[in-house]
Amino acid sequence: MIAEYASRLIQIIPFFLKGLLMTVVVSGISLVLSTALGFILGILRTGRSRLVSRSIGLYVDVMRGTPFVVQIFIVFFILPEWGLQLDALPAAILALTAMTSAFICEVVAGGIRAVPKGQWEAAAASGLNKFQQLKLVILPQAMRTILPPLVGQYVLMIKDSSVVSVIGVTELTRVGWQTVVRIPEGLMVFTLVGVLYFVICYPLIRLSNSLEQRLSQESVRL
Amino acid sequence: MIEFKNVNKWFGKLHVLRDINLEVPAGEVLVICGPSGSGKSTLIRCINRLEKFQKGELYVDGQPLHDHSINLTKLRADIGFVFQQFHLYPHMTALQNVTLAPINVRKMNRDEAEELGRRMLARVGLSDKADAYPAQLSGGQQQRVAIARGLAMSPKIMLFDEPTSALDPEMIGEVLDVMIQLAEEGMTMCVVTHEMGFARQVAHRVIFMDEGQLVETGKPDAFFDNPETERAAQFISKILTH
Repeated sequence: MIAEYASRLIQIIPFFLKGLLMTVVVSGISLVLSTALGFILGILRTGRSRLVSRSIGLYVDVMRGTPFVVQIFIVFFILPEWGLQLDALPAAILALTAMTSAFICEVVAGGIRAVPKGQWEAAAASGLNKFQQLKLVILPQAMRTILPPLVGQYVLMIKDSSVVSVIGVTELTRVGWQTVVRIPEGLMVFTLVGVLYFVICYPLIRLSNSLEQRLSQESVRL
Repeated sequence: MIEFKNVNKWFGKLHVLRDINLEVPAGEVLVICGPSGSGKSTLIRCINRLEKFQKGELYVDGQPLHDHSINLTKLRADIGFVFQQFHLYPHMTALQNVTLAPINVRKMNRDEAEELGRRMLARVGLSDKADAYPAQLSGGQQQRVAIARGLAMSPKIMLFDEPTSALDPEMIGEVLDVMIQLAEEGMTMCVVTHEMGFARQVAHRVIFMDEGQLVETGKPDAFFDNPETERAAQFISKILTH
């Protein structure tokens, strides 16, 4: 019985590792893109232009207020009707980036707002331009507030990437579905899926926790 | 050096500066006092345009500040500003606080800037604190670093917004000493403060503000001993008994 289980496990593991690789690729690319976009949006969100700030706020609310599975359907099935036909993989990356950048935008904006206004004034008074104020004075301080929840967002995104299986990206969850219809050991299959997600998420969770602890200690020291 | 011509400012409906006319020649040490809410902080924050004003003209170092197209960063680089709450950059050492603007605004190279920074810290008596972070310094030390930060840009004007109000009494002296020394070196200074001793010792002129108006101007001794207006007299009696 156990031998049978083990041999089955060895049989299916290569597929799962391939699925895991795809999950890492989809999440990894989306992570980089959504971080870049999220920071840009977050900075503009706190900027002086009301119109820009409100537009971004609306975007964020829409992204946060709709299920990810609906977003990905829109990207994959509806955008082609408007002329933007994407393969499953780019569609998945676009959808994940669009959603996660909205969350990161709020994290970044929150971090920037948490820096006292006097810091902007001191930097401005010394002759630094807006970009230098942000880069040299505000963001380094905001990063303390931003980093722990930012890493937390990465964890959420990796887990949400399981949803892209619905449009046919053969990542970890889809590999699970494909396998479970062929072999009887359903529990084993989805336990394995869960364990593999956990393997990539757990270090990030630990990182987020330790960042939180370290940065709060540092702020006591400073 | 600084010239206000009928400057008016509103915060929403609140009229915080009313027809301010004031000229500060180069080398003058001007003390601005008045009750809280009188507009004195707003007044000096206009000089480096941390505050905008809606009406009137203001020239600083020949530049028209009412003209919104002027190069603000260039103007601010030449004006030192010392805040009540110091506003040092908490993620940087004292030396880094002082050298940040010289490196990034004046485009000085790092060695040159650090040499300058150490000289400025020595000038405010903090040579040994170059590598300390703001949180490791006392309030008085932090404010002296803030003054060094301003001086490192070789400013033409130094503005002080209640520089000693947030300090414990025993630390006020060390900050005032640095400011007195600066005044004696001929720096153009506008200082919002209630420190009468400082005003009497180095100020050329004291102006008294109330409800957004410039109520009285005079030599420090004359102003404190024989104020001309009732409002100024009331104010002085209050800070004396305080």
